[in-house]
Amino acid sequence: MSEQPISSVSEPRLTSSFAAATSSWLPSVILLLVTIVAWEAAVRIFAISTFIIPAPSQIAQSLVAQWGTLMQATLVTAAEILLGFVVSVVVGVAIALVIVRFDWLGRALYPLVVLFQNVPKVALAPIFILWFGYGLAPKIGLILVIAFFPVTLSMLAGLQSVDRSLLSLMNSVGASRTQILFKIRVPHSLPNLMAGTKIAATLSVIGAIVGEFAGASDGLGYVIQFASTQLDTPLVFAALLLVSVLGIAFYYAAEILERIVVPWAPKFSHA
Amino acid sequence: MRIDTIRAAGDRPAHFRHDDLIAVKGVSVVYARQLVLQNIDLSVPKGSFVSLIGPSGCGKSTLLKVLAGLVEPTSGSVSIAGLSPVEAARKRMIGVVFQDANLLPWKNAVDNASMLLGIADKSLSRAELRARGQEMLELVGLGDSAHKRPNELSGGMRQRVAIARALALDPAVLLMDEPFGALDAITRDSMGQSLLEIWQRTGKTIVLVTHSIDEAIHLSRHVHALGIKPGRITGSIDIGLPYPRDLAVTEDPEFVRLVVQLRTMLRASHQPGDAS
Repeated sequence: MSEQPISSVSEPRLTSSFAAATSSWLPSVILLLVTIVAWEAAVRIFAISTFIIPAPSQIAQSLVAQWGTLMQATLVTAAEILLGFVVSVVVGVAIALVIVRFDWLGRALYPLVVLFQNVPKVALAPIFILWFGYGLAPKIGLILVIAFFPVTLSMLAGLQSVDRSLLSLMNSVGASRTQILFKIRVPHSLPNLMAGTKIAATLSVIGAIVGEFAGASDGLGYVIQFASTQLDTPLVFAALLLVSVLGIAFYYAAEILERIVVPWAPKFSHA
Repeated sequence: MRIDTIRAAGDRPAHFRHDDLIAVKGVSVVYARQLVLQNIDLSVPKGSFVSLIGPSGCGKSTLLKVLAGLVEPTSGSVSIAGLSPVEAARKRMIGVVFQDANLLPWKNAVDNASMLLGIADKSLSRAELRARGQEMLELVGLGDSAHKRPNELSGGMRQRVAIARALALDPAVLLMDEPFGALDAITRDSMGQSLLEIWQRTGKTIVLVTHSIDEAIHLSRHVHALGIKPGRITGSIDIGLPYPRDLAVTEDPEFVRLVVQLRTMLRASHQPGDAS
């Protein structure tokens, strides 16, 4: 047979892409280290007040000194993010499925969802505090309204982009609408859904911090606000650092999830 | 081995014989106020290999979709073994292969091959479906690739899986819409040859839409040429070359004569003055 399988060709490329990834990371790491050293030097040479910009060494000291408090706050915020993220994905997927499965409901719902997207949702935070108090619930609510939309939108794009001739094939053997939805459309939409999930992961971190700013008695957002009123700028930066680490961790968790859920996606097959 | 009965070239059947599997009578299709197909009469004998050939926009794909029950004709009638195309499709009598293999990227070759059968017949177990899928993959020459996902298969191999998927339904007729249109010339030749072998082994009736004159004559027993604006059958040729045919047949003087005849026929229907 004249046809050749592609798999044998793509294997050696895998190792070279790993080497390429390492060499593409290296300049960033060097730049980061240089920036930290320059930052430290600048603060010392120009004797910049700690209240304005703390030196990296002072941030590190604060991080060590307040480790217990910071870890406790990180756990609280991480729990908010995780729970809010899961709720956002579940609700986002449910809305997309309803829009695709039930025509009339979809036609009614979709414009409203898009309209709602134009509401500045960060401004809803005080209202959520008013309704749900200072605990977990208002943060979950805020993350939900911020993060469900990219999930719904990306899933919808996937659900609706199934090739017409594939649908013809399914119709020709008498497949029902529900069968086409769950056997074809949903699996087909998973790569899109995973892309939306990564955006939702990032937005969940923002939602949690904004929720804590608006009113909380714990969490990294609370620490940032409290420390800034105390003019403890090194602690503000230490908490900021941990928020960033959380954001990165959730993003990569979503990326790993993507590789597990859709190993067949075009993105992974030829890289 | 069936031996081809040689009819006079260009002879169009005026009446329908009782051994016709597919009988199309006076079918017209109007789409978006355009006459896509005009008064199509077509008969496809059981077990034969029929090609529909014509320029882009002649409605040959639409005609195939009419046969598959995917497009409702505006007027006229289509009978597949006495049934309407939609009824025939529900009874798994029709297998369809499009230019794009349309495999599900999350399923391996064997699960793709049995996917439509699983939808059509819910009583089959997973193991039965797998066995049927494997059997069909072997028929199309992909027995070793059952566990490969589509992204590990070449274009030709993917199209073989699509053919296996259609054959898994055990249809009476295989409708193929430019199945090799996206493949390179060498793969195309080997796919055509494989299709002939599958046809002879299974005895299926095949209707192939193509824009390749060589492919139509190499593979089919009957070729119908379609003209443009409106889409209509402008001529038919019976290919008397004996089966089994291999690629050497393309050097046969009779093959060359048929190519010239078909090309002339297509060109005549392509004349600007011919548009009515």
